[in-house]
Amino acid sequence: MVRPPRVVAELPSEVEDVFEEFRTCEMSTLARDGIPITWPTLPFWYSDEKRFTVTASIALAQKAFNVRRNPRVSLLFSNPTASGLENPPAVLVQGDAEAPDEIETSVAGFEEELRKVYPRQPASRAYGNDPFTRYFMDWYFMRLMIYVTPRRILWWPGADFWREPFELRMEHVG
Amino acid sequence: MWAEITKYLYEFESAVLSGLDEAGYPFSVRCRPYPDASGAEVLRVWLPADTALRPGPASLLCHRHDEKLWNLKSFLVRGALKKDTGGWSFQPVRFIPGLGIGGLPAMIRFFTRSRRNARLYLERRGLARPRIPWDEINVAKKKAFATSALSQEQTADG
Repeated sequence: MVRPPRVVAELPSEVEDVFEEFRTCEMSTLARDGIPITWPTLPFWYSDEKRFTVTASIALAQKAFNVRRNPRVSLLFSNPTASGLENPPAVLVQGDAEAPDEIETSVAGFEEELRKVYPRQPASRAYGNDPFTRYFMDWYFMRLMIYVTPRRILWWPGADFWREPFELRMEHVG
Repeated sequence: MWAEITKYLYEFESAVLSGLDEAGYPFSVRCRPYPDASGAEVLRVWLPADTALRPGPASLLCHRHDEKLWNLKSFLVRGALKKDTGGWSFQPVRFIPGLGIGGLPAMIRFFTRSRRNARLYLERRGLARPRIPWDEINVAKKKAFATSALSQEQTADG
């Protein structure tokens, strides 16, 4: 028998802390054969808009292709390494995504996100610093944007998946 | 495939199991899969009795990074989630290595394949390879590190 999660009306601060501080989340998109394909990715949470943005290089565009075919996705935040958070919850976001077929190469307007990413991953500063990486990694800077609108957020205190989760249905926010 | 799964699985404390819920959305949980005691090439997983996961298409991801978001290592297994009298099991179908698996040859393949994938993406849309604004990126990069250093100094000063 499936126990219903404990439904709440607001997103608690410890869940938003997870969105802000976790370095990666595990993003699932649905392949053509229906298998959820899950890879780690860097999410950006915009609390005012109540949505996430993730990006994908055009060289690794399968996530975007999957979203264009089936918008149902999930983001699991379950790896707290380097987050600095003590005993954070595990959080699952289920939602609908859009992946416009527009390639972004400029970082204008994305400065805030870079201020977060580069210090968190200092080794990535080498990308594009010399002719070698500019040639072999130019594709890394040809990005597709993927926008995820959450429909349901579940979280398990202490990242204990054996406990009954809390749930926020996003239509209740506002 | 089974040999690769068992070789790398033990390098990770846990895995992310993803399947579908009854609404057809992906649903993921952390679990600790282990080979079935019978010797069959399936992984057993313990899941709560009230899990939202449904039997059907599924995948298993193992991944990790260090405190500097580096030394990335990952792999994915495509397969199916099943439920029988013995509980839940994951039937692997295909092993997909991610970053950090396969050493230097795999890394070279990754970079060359990525260049080719980008070229194909552009060709299929009739687009020229875009010019990357390296100067703009490097200015943004410098600002990002400078802001971070300043904020760390301010934190240290209290």
